[in-house]
Amino acid sequence: MAIEPELIYIVVYVTIGGVLGSLAAHLCPVGGAPAAMGTATGIATGTIQILLGAVVTGLFTAATVSTFTNNIVLVMISGAVGATIMMQVTMFFANILYGFGCGITPTSGRVAVDPITKADQTSYKTPQTDGHGIPDVVFISGTLGGFSGGAGGALMYYTLLHYAHFTYGTAVIAALGIFVASAIIASYNIRGTIEGFQDPKFKRVHLALIPTVVISILCSLVVVIATIALRGA
Amino acid sequence: MLQVVLLFAWTLVIVFLAFLACNFEDQESDIGSQSNPNSMVQLAPQVGQIHRFFNKAISGEPISNALYCGTAGMVTWITLSWLEPLVPDAKWKAAVVAIPMGLLASSMIHTIFATTAHCGRIAAQKRFQQPIYLDVFYGHLLPIATHGFMTTFCIICIAYFQSNIGYLAGGGVNSPMNHPFALPLLAFIWGITVGSIGSSTGDVHYGTEREFQDRPFGEGKRVIYHGRITRYADCGIRTQKDIAGFCCKFGGPCTGLTFGFIILLEDWRTLVGMKLAGFLTALPGITRAEQMYIPQGDMAAIWGIILGLIIIAAWIVINMIFVKWIRAKCGPFVGP
Repeated sequence: MAIEPELIYIVVYVTIGGVLGSLAAHLCPVGGAPAAMGTATGIATGTIQILLGAVVTGLFTAATVSTFTNNIVLVMISGAVGATIMMQVTMFFANILYGFGCGITPTSGRVAVDPITKADQTSYKTPQTDGHGIPDVVFISGTLGGFSGGAGGALMYYTLLHYAHFTYGTAVIAALGIFVASAIIASYNIRGTIEGFQDPKFKRVHLALIPTVVISILCSLVVVIATIALRGA
Repeated sequence: MLQVVLLFAWTLVIVFLAFLACNFEDQESDIGSQSNPNSMVQLAPQVGQIHRFFNKAISGEPISNALYCGTAGMVTWITLSWLEPLVPDAKWKAAVVAIPMGLLASSMIHTIFATTAHCGRIAAQKRFQQPIYLDVFYGHLLPIATHGFMTTFCIICIAYFQSNIGYLAGGGVNSPMNHPFALPLLAFIWGITVGSIGSSTGDVHYGTEREFQDRPFGEGKRVIYHGRITRYADCGIRTQKDIAGFCCKFGGPCTGLTFGFIILLEDWRTLVGMKLAGFLTALPGITRAEQMYIPQGDMAAIWGIILGLIIIAAWIVINMIFVKWIRAKCGPFVGP
């Protein structure tokens, strides 16, 4: 049986999307439950919770854009931009709440000096905490994470829409499902909280990328089987 | 005939509803303790702090809000498919009946989940002598359902408007401007988003400030404080009603602003991109299948991306300014 190029695109693009999703999970600053109590730096929720929110916002924008363009790059970047804006607004208003609602200054608990602005972090940190708020480097890391996650989700969505010929709704749900699988594997690697690319935990990102590739290939093979079966029907 | 000004106007209505939706979402996670701050309510009996909080925590907020909104969206959509053929000239009459029916189903499920979550979680803490206070249980179920109702109402309205925005702007029932997703899927997606935002922003006001209100203002909550939540306060023994009444003054509106801004910056810039590219004027007479192949479509996407990149750069600068200002205002940490 001749393997059509569309089926190869499905496997390749879904895998790339999964890898981008895994990278996004490591870049997004996740403080988890401790951050909700001002005990850790980052967004006060879990890895999957925030990534899901960012990626569905990106997918919404990507779906809107996919109705009036069929250019893969434009759809991908539209999804990336949508997810990034969601992450940024969320992080900024988290800072507003920390600052005005709790009187807490944003500071990192994993680095002594901000690598980007060179601002001192240690002197602003509350003792017996792991930092609090979203300082500048963490915000930048979250921006990059949102961009990567949105791009990965939108790429998967475009692939399922145009190469697997799913309908709009099926494509977005399937893309979300495959994305979540990749992100969850990354969250196992993170093990709780991560501040972003400046966090020492980020050096372990390659350990998550390998299982992500395997999972994404497996998911894309399921999509390929579904595509062949649906085409036959 | 599609009226561009109505498209923008309906988008602003959607933005306003988004503000309300996330405001009430944060309140819903305050009136029945949920998500990350609930970890402290869960921990409290284990460190000897018996409390009268409503330990709801059905699941993480994105998933629970996806449940309420997805259920409501599904029932609404099914009811609409029955009722809309009866009123072909005034589809809004079907929506006025269908949306409350969807919300009723969602509220009933929400109440069931709140019951099982609270009773199950507190029953599991029997070994720490934490009782199930029946007055706390009965007295919070209706407020929980009400706040969830308001969140879901706003999200379902957003989903309805987005899936019919072309029609509402005069473009005909099958206008290509209608969002390609069906109403339940849009409700599900926005349920996830609203839960994600409420979990990330509003929970900070509850978890850091209100839950530990007897600790000093102006510092992060130290690890040794964890579990030792404020139980006796301004009006006697604290319950969730005291929590929600406090957080509605700052945490709720801030969270609502977050989602409102996100919807504004997403939908508005997409529409502005379409306008700048001349896509909206090229739209009349084109079907959804054809609109993907006109050159104005690519330009609309490009303009949307350019505006998005400008917005991204602006937020980075705004955050840097705010962080610098708050650090200068509060200064380095002083104290033990």
